[in-house]
Amino acid sequence: MSLALSGTALTGAVRREELMLRVGKTVAITFGCLGVVLMYGPVAWLALMSISERPLTGKPGPFTLSWYEKLFADLRWLDPLLTSLGIAAIVSILCMITATAVGRTLPHIGRTGAWLLLLFLLVLFIPGVMLGVDFVMFYRLFLGIRTGLWSLILAHFVWAFPFALLGVIVVAGRFDTRLLESAADLGAGAWRRFRDIEMPLLFPGILSAGFFGFLLSLNELPRSIYLRGGATTLPLFQWAEAASHTTMVPLIYGLSTLITIASLALTVIALRQLFKGDAA
Amino acid sequence: MAAASDNRPADPILVVRDATRRFGNVVALDRVSLTVPRGDFVTLLGPSGSGKTTLLRIVAGLETPSEIAELSISGQDVRGIPANHRNVATVFQHYGLFPHMSVGENIEYGLLVRKRPAEERRRRAKEALEMVRLPDKYDRRVHQLSGGERQRIALARALVTEPDVLLLDEPLGALDERLRRDMQVELLRLQKSLGTTFILVTHSQEEALTMSGRIVLLNHGRIVQDGSPQDLFDRPQSRFVADFMGIENVLEGRITELRSRAAIVSINGAEIVGCPIPGFAPAVGEKVFFAIRAERLRISDSPALSDENLNSVRCEPRLRIYKGNHYDTELETPVGTLLCRQVDVGQIPESGYALWEPRHCVIGPLDSATRQS
Repeated sequence: MSLALSGTALTGAVRREELMLRVGKTVAITFGCLGVVLMYGPVAWLALMSISERPLTGKPGPFTLSWYEKLFADLRWLDPLLTSLGIAAIVSILCMITATAVGRTLPHIGRTGAWLLLLFLLVLFIPGVMLGVDFVMFYRLFLGIRTGLWSLILAHFVWAFPFALLGVIVVAGRFDTRLLESAADLGAGAWRRFRDIEMPLLFPGILSAGFFGFLLSLNELPRSIYLRGGATTLPLFQWAEAASHTTMVPLIYGLSTLITIASLALTVIALRQLFKGDAA
Repeated sequence: MAAASDNRPADPILVVRDATRRFGNVVALDRVSLTVPRGDFVTLLGPSGSGKTTLLRIVAGLETPSEIAELSISGQDVRGIPANHRNVATVFQHYGLFPHMSVGENIEYGLLVRKRPAEERRRRAKEALEMVRLPDKYDRRVHQLSGGERQRIALARALVTEPDVLLLDEPLGALDERLRRDMQVELLRLQKSLGTTFILVTHSQEEALTMSGRIVLLNHGRIVQDGSPQDLFDRPQSRFVADFMGIENVLEGRITELRSRAAIVSINGAEIVGCPIPGFAPAVGEKVFFAIRAERLRISDSPALSDENLNSVRCEPRLRIYKGNHYDTELETPVGTLLCRQVDVGQIPESGYALWEPRHCVIGPLDSATRQS
């Protein structure tokens, strides 16, 4: 008896294989598209609403730019935006510095590093609202720190730091520390070794730490609710206005659309910067 | 300048005295001393874990010795001085080229941190590229280079700073056979023309023999022999040296008789005449090793005549291996399996005699440097 398949059986097997492959491909594409629609559908719909005459009905059209005109006539949102941008910029810089300092060390100190990383990342699993309450309890009631701009910066930094750290660690783990030895051997002191060799090679990670810090701070709401003190950030403003059933609501649609477009543009620029470094 | 003690060369470029390095309970380097005269090409040879790289890294300043009595480069005490303030340069096996810099920037880096002006850096980098025969690679990126080219760039980068001592840590280990031979010649040429002191670390005895005028052989963190290639190859001080230098036939026996400048060793009833290595005075009854190189053996179909003064043992040729320019034949003999190397191959008898001269058979102590407290 021959173990080889006969000609027709073989063709059958090949056909079945091809069919499976085609089915698999279709399923993958379907779910992929579904995911994209679920993620970006609401954003696109919001954008559509922002140029519709009666956005609160939830139906598009007829189209108009009047909400945007009103948005730029009533600039109450400008102060919260500037506050948010300022906080985000500070958090971003803090993230770059601290994530670099911690991230460059952790991959090279063995088991201690792994435990420390776990410790740094664990905070991600605490619900944001709870963390906000915890912060108020600990910082304001126990340590006596006044809430306001600085408590917001602190909370946003604690929130963004684990992400920023991940950005640096991914790059730092691949960094060949022997390069620092060869730099020392060529006469470079500790600072020059960092500036000339380590920092340029970690730069994609440092940059991503900065972007994480910036974007996470810019969009942060749950912790900010508790720690705002007298300060109002853009998400707080949007949230308050969207919840208040005032005439401001349609304006928020326009504002959100603009912020989203700006964020996306920033992200695209950041990613291009990152990969430009890689390709060189 | 510090006064040199009398057994030193007048102007040693490197003095290491009693360097010890421990990693936990492991002694990587055990009271090693080394003096290198200016302009020499010295090879540190040894198996992995012998401490050769540790010694090199201590000289470079990349490793801190647990204890050291003296460490001076060009007459200057460099103990406690970090790597970046020592005028030595290292060529690493992994090259250590900076991937984010061009070839030119890599070579200029040592000059940049020494704050040399830009046009001088560029001129000297170009000269260095010229020297390693890659004159048109200045603007290349590191990842565009082949392994051999990276090796040469690493060499140029180390030499451009004009170090007192160039340290080479298995620099040719990652190259393929042909390229390695070319680079060996290249290194020799450079060392001769520059007159810089080179210290090369390698685990290849063939490379050590080719490259340098002096081989320092290490094992278990200690120097087991320090001498010319001929010394190590023809007069191994211990069984380990004989084995490591690739002497094909190393056997053990017991001394039965001493003559002037010769000794007779008995092994499995056969009596072998050989020459004790200089400085070794064996006693009758002492266990010793004796070593014969494969090319010193010859096969004959009759035993040696008594007046020929040759060692001769019965042998049966077994496996014959073709090696390109010679043949290796395994001989089964009463003293053990011997390897015989022949350039032209005649008729090999079914059984015969292996013959060799007593002066080609060195006798040495068994326990020298093979054990340590």
